[in-house]
Amino acid sequence: MSEKNSRRSFLRQGFGIAALSGLAATSASALSLQNPGRDAGEMRYVGDKNKHLVMVMDLRKCIGCQACTAACKVENKVPTSQYRTFVLETEIGEFPDVRKGFLPQLCNHCDNPSCVSVCPTGATFKRKDGVVVVDNTICWGCGYCLSACPYDKRYFNTKTKTADKCNFCVQRVDQGLLPACVETCVGGARVFGDMNDKTSEVYHLLHTFSTTVLKPEQGNKPQVFYIGLDNKINELLNSTQSLDDMVKKHDGIHAEWSKTLIKEM
Amino acid sequence: MNTLISSITPNIPWGIDVPNYFWFTGSSAAAFIISSFAHVFGMERYKPIAGFSLLMAFVLLVAAPLNLIDDLKQPGRVLNFFMYGWENFGTSPMKWGVILLMAYPVLIFFEAIYIYRPYFVKKMATLSGVSHTFYGLLTLGRMGMSQEDFDKDHRVGKLLGIIGIPLALCVHGYTGYILGVVHANALWHTPLMPILFLASAMVSGTGFLIVIIPIFQKFFTSMGSVNHDTMVDLAKLLALFIVIDLVIRFLWLTFAMPFNGEEKYLVYAFFELNFHEVLYVEYLLCLIIPMIVGFSALRNNFIVLYCAGILSVVGVWLFRWNTVIGGQSIPKSAPGFLHYSPDIFSQSSIVSIFSNWGILIALVCFILVIFPWDEEMVESYSKRVNHGK
Ligand code: SF4
Ligand code: SF4
Repeated sequence: MSEKNSRRSFLRQGFGIAALSGLAATSASALSLQNPGRDAGEMRYVGDKNKHLVMVMDLRKCIGCQACTAACKVENKVPTSQYRTFVLETEIGEFPDVRKGFLPQLCNHCDNPSCVSVCPTGATFKRKDGVVVVDNTICWGCGYCLSACPYDKRYFNTKTKTADKCNFCVQRVDQGLLPACVETCVGGARVFGDMNDKTSEVYHLLHTFSTTVLKPEQGNKPQVFYIGLDNKINELLNSTQSLDDMVKKHDGIHAEWSKTLIKEM
Repeated sequence: MNTLISSITPNIPWGIDVPNYFWFTGSSAAAFIISSFAHVFGMERYKPIAGFSLLMAFVLLVAAPLNLIDDLKQPGRVLNFFMYGWENFGTSPMKWGVILLMAYPVLIFFEAIYIYRPYFVKKMATLSGVSHTFYGLLTLGRMGMSQEDFDKDHRVGKLLGIIGIPLALCVHGYTGYILGVVHANALWHTPLMPILFLASAMVSGTGFLIVIIPIFQKFFTSMGSVNHDTMVDLAKLLALFIVIDLVIRFLWLTFAMPFNGEEKYLVYAFFELNFHEVLYVEYLLCLIIPMIVGFSALRNNFIVLYCAGILSVVGVWLFRWNTVIGGQSIPKSAPGFLHYSPDIFSQSSIVSIFSNWGILIALVCFILVIFPWDEEMVESYSKRVNHGK
């Protein structure tokens, strides 16, 4: 039965292509400026227009435990070797003046997301509450958004074979819960909430501390804000080698894309 | 000293199919422009190869998009592209690029059937049955062989050529545009990118004709030999296009490195990493040497010129590779350049590329069997000789 159905839908798709390429009349309602979910105004596609969801990372509190990384993988069934969020671990300075530096990273849910504007299928878009999401039933896997994100925060999900990334756990947030990473953060470094709500913790933090964002020069207007971001970590991004990769190289682990080490600066 | 202890290896979207695709569309645009030298601008010296170049432009462009489909992670969802996301039409070059990509081969096809119509009519007389009907269709029902009819063919062909020139420039220009708009990528992000792509496309397209025309002239026409004048003309063109390409690259690299802002550090690091390959192979071997051949008496030596043609074709392919793959190797959120080696099998792999070239060769054969390009070529040469006398 299901085989029959899939054959039928395959045929239907085939006819669809024929209809288009043959310039036959395609009903105007089949074409969409956005995508069917958004057109139908489904809650998970549009979100709450009165909210403006953001995250604040208080780096003074991050201990680099990667609990967020793990919680995210479990909550979102992220495939092996892929990550929606992770914490970069660095060593800053030289003995005896040395310390660890951590940089938790995730999609910045940019206010001006360069990943969204280039998407040719309308599969990725920004909800009214600011969350940037991907509809993995629409995405055709062209990868333009992966190239366009200045933060490398998108990947091709090996299970769905579509673009994927952090979605602020909207499946939880829409139910009134917190994102998995925030819920699990042992140091309380990750704070999530609605900027439009003046009683929220994010509102309080953003107005009482100096915050910064990653790569502001890209003009994306990220909505993940950092307290205590050390510029040395920013500089590091462009320069040094990763011990992780050295180990991978040593162990002969090669993927289609792997890292090349460059000279230290 | 700051050291990274751990991070992840980011995911990189575009594989070997993409530089190959860019090479195909670029060479197609160049072949079209060269055919338009005769069809639109009336430059007689390019007349004998104009029809052939037009057909090459067509097959290159029919084969090109297959690369794109192969690079998609969900190729079965092609329809979604046409159904959804039209609000991004203005901001996604991929969106309008694909529309151009579909319009352009249709236009070349019609130009070709107008130009070859008299030959189809002649051919029909010698055929019967299905082949007769087939060529009848290609003539679009116009059987007249009067001067008036020829003038009409010429007029329509020229008109389509005139429309085709900006279209050809856009079809390839948009591929540069796709990269140029990505401000996240230090190597790509320059308004020069579309022009740079066009300039190098003219080099690869001319090189491609230098490689392919002799084969067909020698083995598949009644001339039985390669026309020396045509080769010399192409050599001169090649050299000229290389000069233009080098000038634009000079502008690009100077603005991207010494006179750039923050991005320059990454671009410097990138070229440092690939210094020898870029300088000695891409520039010296594949651009400067063919340019010297094109400008000097060396171009009269067929073997030398033929090798220069091959080098320029390979050089531009490498440039596409270094730009597309190289650009993606630049780190964005974790230190260390990425390294890519294509799979042998699978999507966007070495085998895909060979298959695509195989399809190109099959299409070349197919289209050259259908179109009486050889008759037209020989006739144009003989007309030229008569004019000369
Ligand atoms: S961080 Fe990247 S993926 Fe996330 S919204 Fe910004 S541009 Fe898009
Ligand atoms: S990979 Fe998917 S979400 Fe990304 S640009 Fe392409 S179609 Fe859009």
